[in-house]
Amino acid sequence: MNDMSRIVVSDLALIIPELILISAALALILLTPRIRRGPAAAVGTVFAALAAVLASFWILPSETQTGFAGMIIQDGYSRFFKVLIAAALALTALLSINSSEGAENEAPNGEYHALLLLASTGMMLAVSTVDLLTLYLGLELMTVCSYILVGIHVQRRTSNEAAVKYFLVASFASALLLYGISLTYGFAGGTGFVIVASALSEYGSDRNPLLLATLLLVLGGLAFKIAAVPFHSWAPDAYQGASAPVAAFLAAGSKAAGLGALGRITLVAYGPTVEVLSVLLAGLAALSIVVGSITLLAQTDMKRLLAYSSIAHAGFAVLGLIAGTPEGTSTTMTYAFFYVFMTLGAFGVVVALGERGATLDGYRGLAAQRPLAAALMLLFLLSLTGFPPTAGFVAKFVVILSAVQAGYTVLAVLAVAFSVVSAFVYMRVVVYMFMREPQEPAPSRWPATVSVALAVTALVTLIGGIVPASLMSWTVSP
Amino acid sequence: MNEYVGIAVSLVLAAGITGMLVLLGSTLGKKNPSAVKLSPFECGTDPFSRPTGRLVVKFYLTAILFILFDVELIFLYPWAVVYRTLGFVGLVEMGVFLGVLMVGFVYAWANGALDWK
Repeated sequence: MNDMSRIVVSDLALIIPELILISAALALILLTPRIRRGPAAAVGTVFAALAAVLASFWILPSETQTGFAGMIIQDGYSRFFKVLIAAALALTALLSINSSEGAENEAPNGEYHALLLLASTGMMLAVSTVDLLTLYLGLELMTVCSYILVGIHVQRRTSNEAAVKYFLVASFASALLLYGISLTYGFAGGTGFVIVASALSEYGSDRNPLLLATLLLVLGGLAFKIAAVPFHSWAPDAYQGASAPVAAFLAAGSKAAGLGALGRITLVAYGPTVEVLSVLLAGLAALSIVVGSITLLAQTDMKRLLAYSSIAHAGFAVLGLIAGTPEGTSTTMTYAFFYVFMTLGAFGVVVALGERGATLDGYRGLAAQRPLAAALMLLFLLSLTGFPPTAGFVAKFVVILSAVQAGYTVLAVLAVAFSVVSAFVYMRVVVYMFMREPQEPAPSRWPATVSVALAVTALVTLIGGIVPASLMSWTVSP
Repeated sequence: MNEYVGIAVSLVLAAGITGMLVLLGSTLGKKNPSAVKLSPFECGTDPFSRPTGRLVVKFYLTAILFILFDVELIFLYPWAVVYRTLGFVGLVEMGVFLGVLMVGFVYAWANGALDWK
């Protein structure tokens, strides 16, 4: 017994980034009465996130190591996603400092940032675990914090409505995932990824209705977290009702975490069932790309537009997982990385423009009034379309190539075709910005912190497009 | 699949027995209805509040705070049983756990959850 507790203490080294975020969150909760106003909470969050990034690079052991009785793993894969999640957290905190918003619209500062930190902790846990129940725990921590973040503007009716809708659908999806996990436990006799994989390879993968039900339930639960069709209905409403930084955090952070969890689970735990899994994932990807791109055409609200864009992008990201190979999973990692930065960038412009950024009409003639904001939006929209030389092109290129190599040529053609369909929408925003007369007064100045976030996201989007190989050494699949 | 047959059997048994009891009661039982008996809410007495009436939301806060201490207690019991084998590390771990819970309590206190006004 004494031995076990000693092991647990040394295992703490594996979760140092999480510990940093939790400590910061607890400190913020204790300090709430003093940091109701001003940027202190956001600054603290940014520093905690940066500390987590540094800890992921330098303090976490460089070789693969498991701990906590084989529940937590530290490898290149978890390091990659931890850095990505911490970056999304830091950028969201930077976007959250908004001086132009009125006092009655303000979210409770300390609670808001504490919830961001705790949600990120859940995400990090979800990508660095090799046990289904810990995975569930991490994803739930993320989702429960997200409900409150969506509804944190208590006085705003749309915010309340979005939170309730999100909560109802999300708890249903969590139940699906949990049911899938319990069925897995039923035939594997354990919840560790390795136990599940060995049980599956013994069991024989083909034509077993119980196995098919298990895969459908687990995939359904995880597809919900990344907002892939047909588990996407919550995303547009939740994004629209939430404030723009929260929507950005959901679109970037929780999607990255969901993809991280999905990547490890499909490759390691359910890997032996690759034939069935590929078909299911291909269906998920095809539906998300088609439905996301087509519904994108009808959107006039900017947050809804970006929500449907994120749904389509979830489909593209899943393309890399279809192959069921480590190479395929690392293309999804590349996709997740670039997607996080370009989406945060696009949401960053929405935040920077304040009231005007909320609707498509607000972008009329923006180039004449705020050329820099228009140019940045152009960059992010080109990247979301997948236009060279932006990071979005590299991301789409690698996942589509992976799908072709896996033998899904038709799906790849479909992905390219609907990329063109979605380009129509993104370019409509560009036309509004550059070729229409402005109808509203120029937006007021945005805080310097938003500029920092925009600069970082723009840099990554550009560098990723020009030097795509810069990321290759990082995308280590599990 | 055979292991699951037992669950199915017990499900059928449970449904059968409860169904039969309800059926027997409604067919064989003596019926002597009166206005008071037929009123479902606050059985036997005149209702003194509406069933859809409102509750003070502070009860909810109190219930949430109760959960805080309940969780604490549930973990304290097994810890106390194996306290000697866990030793000093166990004590520190429990301290950290209680500390984290207390942060929530302090937050609730500071934000007036304990003022019944």
